[in-house]
Parts: sequence; structure tokens; C-alpha cells
Amino acid sequence: MIRKILFWAATILILLFITLPLAWIYLTAFKSNADIFDPSLRKFVIFTPTLDNFRSLFADYPFWKNFLNTIIISVGSTILTMVISLPAAYSFARWNTGGGDLLYFTISTRMFPPAVAAIPHFMVFKTVGLIDTHLGLIILNTFFNVSFATFLLYGYFNDIPAELEQAAMVDGYNRTEVFRKIVFPLIKPGLAVTAMFCLIWSWNEFFFAFLFSRNIAKPVNVLLSQFWGGLQVQYGLMTAGAAITILPTLIMVWFMQRYIIRGLTFGAVKG
Amino acid sequence: MEAVGRKPTIWETLTNEKNFKWTLVAPLLIILVIFALYPLIYSFYFSFHDWGMQGAPIMTGLKNFRQLVFDQTFLSAVGRTFKAMVICISVELLLGLGIALLWNRDFPGQNIVRGLALLPLMVAPLILSLLWYFLLDYNFGAVNQVLEAIGLSKVYWWSPNMALYTICFITIWQWFPFSTFVLLAGLKSLPKDVFEAARVDGASGWYTFRRLTLPMLTPLIMIIVVLRAMWLIRLMDPLFGTTRGGVNTELLDWIVYRTSFVMFDIGYGSAMAVFSWALTMILCMLMFRQLMKALAANR
Repeated sequence: MIRKILFWAATILILLFITLPLAWIYLTAFKSNADIFDPSLRKFVIFTPTLDNFRSLFADYPFWKNFLNTIIISVGSTILTMVISLPAAYSFARWNTGGGDLLYFTISTRMFPPAVAAIPHFMVFKTVGLIDTHLGLIILNTFFNVSFATFLLYGYFNDIPAELEQAAMVDGYNRTEVFRKIVFPLIKPGLAVTAMFCLIWSWNEFFFAFLFSRNIAKPVNVLLSQFWGGLQVQYGLMTAGAAITILPTLIMVWFMQRYIIRGLTFGAVKG
Repeated sequence: MEAVGRKPTIWETLTNEKNFKWTLVAPLLIILVIFALYPLIYSFYFSFHDWGMQGAPIMTGLKNFRQLVFDQTFLSAVGRTFKAMVICISVELLLGLGIALLWNRDFPGQNIVRGLALLPLMVAPLILSLLWYFLLDYNFGAVNQVLEAIGLSKVYWWSPNMALYTICFITIWQWFPFSTFVLLAGLKSLPKDVFEAARVDGASGWYTFRRLTLPMLTPLIMIIVVLRAMWLIRLMDPLFGTTRGGVNTELLDWIVYRTSFVMFDIGYGSAMAVFSWALTMILCMLMFRQLMKALAANR
């Protein structure tokens, strides 16, 4: 009995430690400035909720426009990533293309320091006029995500026994048919998980968005970073924006909780 | 597909048994070569030059690198990055192991617990850094208000002596669920009969943990260390919402960014970038082997 109480006490403590800071975003978003800066603990949860922060965010800042930019960039780059990664991963898994070296090269580009790539990319993008365009950020995010997506999909393809495909070939299916009718239905769950990861990562990407966008293609993260200031941070606006921006991520994480550990460990740990 | 009608020969060459596998990886390789190799060559080129984005680059040989080796600001940024790496990885591992052992049982609501614990893992680091900057503010931060209410003194979270640890704290807060659930997956997959046998033989809990559990978890611990090291050497986003490289928190990627994009010293910035790249590659080569071994052991 005491063990049980201790177990639940510890579990609840850990969960509070994890969730309270996130809850703080949603509490602050509905507070007036007077309540935000009120030092009494009572005001943590007892306050008159107001929508002023949201109203000001929508009226005085291009929040929805930037939010739409984030959607366009992350959905666009996710689709492009899948189109590139799916065939490549299939090739790596079925024929061990490049004998492991290519796979190493693929994954090693993920470790590439972004700050290194930023200068040359910036110069080239300036020359071809891709700065501050959706297409430019879509391409960049695709580059960031393809190697990860390929590696993760490679793991999922490896789970499909090669005999299954050989049997289908014996039955007279050609390559395209094997892929369409046998492999694709089996890879669909893995594809969905991989796509979710790419979606979240491009949703969260900040550094390149910050450097490569001005106005037209500015994603919402860059807007939120502008509420930061050495002396005065606009906490109300910042939390209101953050509350909306992180909501899709939180929902996706909740529904893919079973696959997150597998994804983050490149398929090594089947959480 | 559109090539079928017009130029069947090219399509056929691309899709015959010998070439098909290469055709499938071609788009990936093209994008990787353009976006990874080109910047590297570019950075190498400019690391031997002086260039401030204006006029023609002046060839200076190894001057940038010689300057780099004696640049105290740069060296401390490298040192700080490794310090943060060691702190974050060890705390995450210890916390993760403890909590994994706690949760390694069936209990009601375990799916809800997992769902809640994983929530911060995928939230944008930038947004979390903005949030923590607020929560840990000296005057208005909720954490200091609670500390004061329970009779403790407020903490200067963003003072020059403290800020780097605060950055580590934010990172650990976001990432300890990762090691927790990796290790939990490992604990759940351990063979039950071995532990049964140990219990029958009268082995103590600590002995079983040290001699059985820990060795069996080693490949997973390796995976955590390697992956976290790879991500942490690139630690940068949390700085944007907090100190912006001030108060002794300038990390490796931040100084590369600041030199190139704030001071526009492309030559020197490129030299730093090349150094950072080489460091990462050495680290990755050392670790990739381990990762591959651990991955193979776990498949």
C-alpha cells in the first residue's frame, strides 16, 4: 500500500513537472497584463480570463498570414520529402544500393552543422531569388528532412520480408505491381509516421526560417521570436501565439505516442 | 512516367533490372549533393579568404585558422558546447533510468502517463525557450514567485554564472522523456526467465540491477548517448528565445552564426564553420560505428 502511494506520488510529481510549464502557456494567454505581472500566487490560476491578447495578436500582427505560411511550408516540404525518400528507402532496403556507404552518407548529412550551410545557401538563394519565398523554405526543409525520412522508411521497408515480393513476382506481378499492390499497403503506417515527423520538424524549424524570410514567407515561429526583447517581453502576445502554434504538435504527439520513440531512434527502439 | 511516350528508350534504360535501384535513389542523392556538398566546398574556399560580403575575396591562406586557434571567445564556445553536452546527457540518462525503473510495470492509465510525458518532446525548442525565459524571469517568473512563497530566495537564472546551466535545464526538461521511454522499452523487452532465475538463486535487487539489467541496457544507453550528442552539438534554438548568446552562453553554432550573419565576416565565419564541421564529423565517425552496432543489436 505504501509502495503504491509512493509510486503514484512520484508519477504525479513527474507529470506535473512536465505539463505545468505547458499549461502555463494556456493560462497566461488568457490573462490581462495586470494579472501577468501580479506577483501573488493566487493569480496563477484565479483571474478574470480575457481574450485581449488574442484580439491584439490577430488585429495588430499578421498572425494568421504567418500561420498559413507555416502550414504551406511544412505540408509542401513533407510531400516533397516523401516523394524523394520513399523510392530511395525502398531501393536501400531491397537492393542494399551503395552497399551501406550511401546510407551512411545520407544520414551523415543530417549531422551537418546548419550554421555552416547557412552562408552558402544564403548567397545562392539571393542570386536565384529564393529568399523570402515559400518555395525556398520548402526546399530547405525538404533537405533537412529527407535523410531522416529515408532512414526511418528504410527501417519500415526492412520489416517487410523479401519473400513476400518474390512470391508475388513468381505469381506474374511486375515490379510496379509488386510495389503498388504488395509493398505500399504494408508500408502505409510507416509512411504516415514518417510524414508526421517531417511535418512536425518543418513546423518547428526556426533558424533558417529566421534567416531566409522577411515578410511574404515569414512563418509563425519567426513572428513569435519577435515578441522577445531584452527589456520588455510581450508575454501575453507571445503565449497567445504559442498556444495556437503548438496545439497541432501536441495533438499529433498525443496520437502518435506509440511511434515517437521508434521514430526518434531511427527505428532502433520499437517503443 | 511522362517519358514513356516520347522517349521509351531512356525510360527503359532507367528502369531495367540493373539501373532501377539507382534511378530510385537518384533524386535523394541529387538533393543531398547540392545542399550538403556544395556549401561545404564553398565554406572551405572562403575559410582561406578574407571577405566581408563586399568587393572581391582576398586570399589569406591559413590566417583565419591561425586566428581561430588563439581566439579565446571561440575556444570557450567550443568548451561550453561540450560542457552542455556532458551535463545534459548524464542528467537525462540518470533521470531517464530512474523513471524508467519506476514505470516498468503495468499500472492503470499508463497510456495517459506516456502521452503526457511525451508532450514537450516535439514542441518547437524556440517556443519552449521563450516560455522558460518567462517562467525563469527574476521578477515576474512563476518559478521565482513560488520559491519566494515557500521561503527560499529568488534565483538569478540568467546571471553569467548561471545562464548556461539554465539552458541545460531547459534542454533536459524537454528531452529526459526521450531517454526514459527508450530505456523503458528496453526494460520491457528483457527476458523474464533470467530475472526469475536470479531471484530464485537469492540475488539481491542491487546485484541483479548491476549484473543483469544494466549490461542488457547498454546498447540502448549507447543509442541515447550517440543520438543526444549528435543533436546537442548543434544546440542553438534555445538561445534565440533566451540569452541570444549573451551572459556566457555562446555555443559553437551560435558563434558561427554571429560571426557570419551579424558581423558579416564570411571568411572567419567559414573557418569556424569548417572547424565545426570537422569536429562533428570526427564525433560522428567515432559514434556512428557504435550506433550501427547498437542498432543491429536491437533490430
